[in-house]
Amino acid sequence: MGKLAFVTPANSEPMLQLLAPDGTYGVPKGYERYGAAIDELDEDKLKTFYRDMARIRRFDLEAIALQRQGQLGLWVPAIGQEGAQIGSGYGVGHNDHIFPSYREHGVAITHGVELMSILKMMRGVNHGGWNPEETRYHLYAIVLGSQVLHAVGYAMGVKLDGKVGNGDLSDDLAVISYMGDGATAEGDVSESLLFAAVNEAPIVFFVQNNQWAISSSVETQTKVPLYKRGQGFGVPGMRVDGNDVLANYAATKIHMDEAREGAGPFLIEALTYRIGAHTTSDDPTKYRDEAEVEYWRQRDPIDRFEIFLRRQGIGDDFFEEVKEAGDALAKDIREQTFALPKPPLEHIFNNVYSDEHPEIERQKAWLRAYEDQMGEHE
Amino acid sequence: MSSYQDMAIARAINAGLRKAMQRDEKVLVFGEDVARLGGVFRVTEGLLDEFGEKRVFNSPIAESGIVGTAIGLAMRGYRSVAEIQFDGFVFPAFNQITSQLAKLTYRSEGFQQMPVVIRIPFGGGIGAVEHHSESPEAYFAHTAGLRVVSPSNPNDAYWMIQQAIESPDPVIFFEPKRRYWQKGPVNLDTAPLPLHSARMLREGTDVTLIAYGPMVSTALQAAEIGAEEGVSIEVIDLRSISPIDYPTLLASVAKTGRAVIASEAPTNVSVASEVAARIAEHSFYHLQAPVVRVGGFDTPYPPAKLEEEYLPDADRILEAVDRVLAY
Amino acid sequence: MSIAKFPLPDVGEGLTEAEIVSWKVAPGDKVSVNQTICEIETAKSVVELPCPFEGEVTELLAAEGDTVEVGSPIIAVNVAGNAPILTEPDAPAKEPADTGAEYKLPTLVGYGDSGEAKSRRKRAVNTAPISTAIPVAMVRAASASDSVLAKPPIRKLAKELGVNLANVTGTGVHGEITREDVVGAASQASVFKNLTTPDVPSEREERIPVKGVRKAIATAMVKSAFTAPHVSIFVDVDATRTMEYVKRLRNSVDFAGIKVTPLLIMAKAIIWAVRRNRMVNSTWTDQEIIVHNFVNLGLAAATPRGLIVPNIKDADSMSLLELAQAIEQLAATAREGKTTPEDMSNGTITITNIGVFGVDTGTPILNPGEVSIVALGSIRKKPWVVDDEIVVRQVTTIGATFDHRVVDGDVASRFVQDVASVIEEPALLLD
Repeated sequence: MGKLAFVTPANSEPMLQLLAPDGTYGVPKGYERYGAAIDELDEDKLKTFYRDMARIRRFDLEAIALQRQGQLGLWVPAIGQEGAQIGSGYGVGHNDHIFPSYREHGVAITHGVELMSILKMMRGVNHGGWNPEETRYHLYAIVLGSQVLHAVGYAMGVKLDGKVGNGDLSDDLAVISYMGDGATAEGDVSESLLFAAVNEAPIVFFVQNNQWAISSSVETQTKVPLYKRGQGFGVPGMRVDGNDVLANYAATKIHMDEAREGAGPFLIEALTYRIGAHTTSDDPTKYRDEAEVEYWRQRDPIDRFEIFLRRQGIGDDFFEEVKEAGDALAKDIREQTFALPKPPLEHIFNNVYSDEHPEIERQKAWLRAYEDQMGEHE
Repeated sequence: MSSYQDMAIARAINAGLRKAMQRDEKVLVFGEDVARLGGVFRVTEGLLDEFGEKRVFNSPIAESGIVGTAIGLAMRGYRSVAEIQFDGFVFPAFNQITSQLAKLTYRSEGFQQMPVVIRIPFGGGIGAVEHHSESPEAYFAHTAGLRVVSPSNPNDAYWMIQQAIESPDPVIFFEPKRRYWQKGPVNLDTAPLPLHSARMLREGTDVTLIAYGPMVSTALQAAEIGAEEGVSIEVIDLRSISPIDYPTLLASVAKTGRAVIASEAPTNVSVASEVAARIAEHSFYHLQAPVVRVGGFDTPYPPAKLEEEYLPDADRILEAVDRVLAY
Repeated sequence: MSIAKFPLPDVGEGLTEAEIVSWKVAPGDKVSVNQTICEIETAKSVVELPCPFEGEVTELLAAEGDTVEVGSPIIAVNVAGNAPILTEPDAPAKEPADTGAEYKLPTLVGYGDSGEAKSRRKRAVNTAPISTAIPVAMVRAASASDSVLAKPPIRKLAKELGVNLANVTGTGVHGEITREDVVGAASQASVFKNLTTPDVPSEREERIPVKGVRKAIATAMVKSAFTAPHVSIFVDVDATRTMEYVKRLRNSVDFAGIKVTPLLIMAKAIIWAVRRNRMVNSTWTDQEIIVHNFVNLGLAAATPRGLIVPNIKDADSMSLLELAQAIEQLAATAREGKTTPEDMSNGTITITNIGVFGVDTGTPILNPGEVSIVALGSIRKKPWVVDDEIVVRQVTTIGATFDHRVVDGDVASRFVQDVASVIEEPALLLD
């Protein structure tokens, strides 16, 4: 394990972990305020965490199958990262804006984004046509790191609007910007940290360090633990156990609250692991150890949370119900996916510009006329 | 009765920015050195004093960051006028401009408008060092989702900056830096034309000469000299590089039967090449001669001492005019 | 119950084939949705495939070790009757579930190599290519007085032929001036084109003395018309192949710079037809009929002073190229007014080209000393019947007049038919 020295929880980097892999709960010394955030949660909320983690995993598995059956061009699995995504997703406030990269499907469901919206992208129906303003969950960004600058710009705008530090939870807002360990290498991310710091923008940078960027391990992307990345720019940070849904929730809630109150930018590194492949086009057996994957399977976020919940007295009925709900969701997703129609050809030309544009009109009319007179291949 | 005021292009853009900022408090101006200094060409002079540091501020020297945050601000409802200090420095922002700014409205299926103006001083002829005399407009004209314009005179500069700011789409606003101090009358009351219209500046019968930005003055000069030699040249200022006002161009070529396109940019795969291809396609039966492009050579912009030989001037334009008249 | 087939999907963004590594199920096995049914190896990796259906396996359509193309079915499953039918909405309507019919899983199949089309798409509607024109001001500005519409090669041709395009009316699809227009303007026909309608003259009449060329023409015409019994016959023929042949000749390097028109083909056709019907190429004297074994081909030429008929001596021994040159030379000489009496004598058969005047056909009068004259009329697009369908072809009428003292009806008909068959199929000249 020497190679992974600074990325395993067993080493000496300070890390927030409330829920150990064996399901025991405990608040480490110095992290009391995070424990306090958990104390505020009732049983229903805890059940919601579990339900959503199980739901997003079931959805993920179904999406992989659909891709293998030729129904999706591509799928981007988030298996193993449910703790980081559901936990942080629920730590985000109901006014806050979320800038994902392209793997945060778990965060999406915590804010009511329809799963089919994500699948439409993967089926080639659109590039992600959900309404970012309404859902406050912005579109997926495939150019790594590009969206982090947008998030910072958005946060700068929030500050200009005066919606920071008024203590008004119904009006004030902060921004959370998600990215992976690989993206932190992009220049745009460095520029984002810079702009956020000098402008004291209300933003939390949430780095899901799943330790692999396709086939490059995290050592390729950084020399220091990623929670320290912002230091040179003036952005403080912390590391949390990415597979501990409670730690992710607490850290995100506390720091989003602080950003909303005007504390400026913050960076959270969630140390987790990409159990699955980068996408369905990838074959991880070509570049990583099965032993390593097995190590992290033992630290699964859903398993440990089930143990925890059972210790709270939550029984088989609940877990059965969740499993059945998952299967029903999978079936529904499958049917909806098969029913997705090909968009009309005019769609090629829609929304290239907000204002009318002569070239667009001309080319659209031409293609329509051309297609109208063409039949099948002979 | 319209009121006119004589001013240089740089002053005209300044006045236009001022008007736009007075009209809409969501308009922001930022970039490197635009605040207290007023910009290295003084185009944003006085705006900090009038509108305050929340709306007029300096950015870190990070062009990608300047454009990327402008995008985020647009998502939040602001209308950014971001300055890239010099044409040669736009490339760090190229990714944000082409993969993000140009595509977000399309990607979001119309949910997110991108009312961002990127102001870029461009072109050569000022004896500058490397990277300060580029003509990169073709890269942006080639990118769907962007609008690209370039005023050639103070009146257009005054009005087009305001129209660009009002557009819900991203506009790359190329300012001909060698003409910044050229003066002309500005009609303070009425806009001359829509943002994307071309304009015939001088009527003629023998050849249609098309130019934009810094080359328009040169084109008019060539037409003047040509007239003395008995050649009647019609000069058209494109004004808008994307979209291009083809009806105006084609009507002129239908009349003259000959077209020459002049610009500073290297000719290979240039805006001029696109215009030439379209004219050849749509004016085929009207053409008495092939369409000829006059431009920079396909080399990096040369050191200042060789700039005069590199840039098209009236003689190089008239040489092309002679060529098309020989047919 | 119906048989569902699972086509091999593209599991890696653009893969074209995969190898079946191992099957996890066999015919007769019950399978459920997402159950792993096989392992495949692609260019990128080894992948497990989940079953899209629930039912019973009827057949494995590929064996372990087989390389299968993306899109080929790999397994057939008998799907339970109540299973939801999963189709893309625009797929063709399927048979009802209990006919035992097959249905294919609608699949986003990868493109791979086979994605390239092997044929063109059929044009459902037979229309012209869609205009990419930018309508608006361009059309507005192009008024006839402002500009002349012509393609660059036509402008060049006009220059070479000394034709002022401003005086030519364009007959092209877009109103542009075509090659024919320019050539027509350069030919003798232009001499007689009514370009303007003159004013009404102020005098009530004009008296022109009968003398010179006019008197000679009149004498010859009368002699011919009132001594020889004239019979005219007409044949309509599909001249499309001749027009194509003319076009090819024009483009050929050998004929560069030489005027090639349907008249040239007509001349050749007549020469060929004469060989087969010798009587038409003869002269009547009261004592004997002189059948000529050579062809001095007369071409009626309109000049400002009247109609003359110079002839090409021994046209039958000329190659196509030589004949073309001879025709061009004859026309030029006539236009310049330099035709000699020698040129105009001893003709054996004549062609009159009334087509250049836009006339369909006519009853030409025999050139004195000859027994046949052929009229080449205009060649126009007309409806024609080909393989029981009405199509547009370029049609012309061949009219010919004969001296019935020498040429009987059957010979006349055969001759005209021979000429017509060449016009219809110029390849007959290869005889």
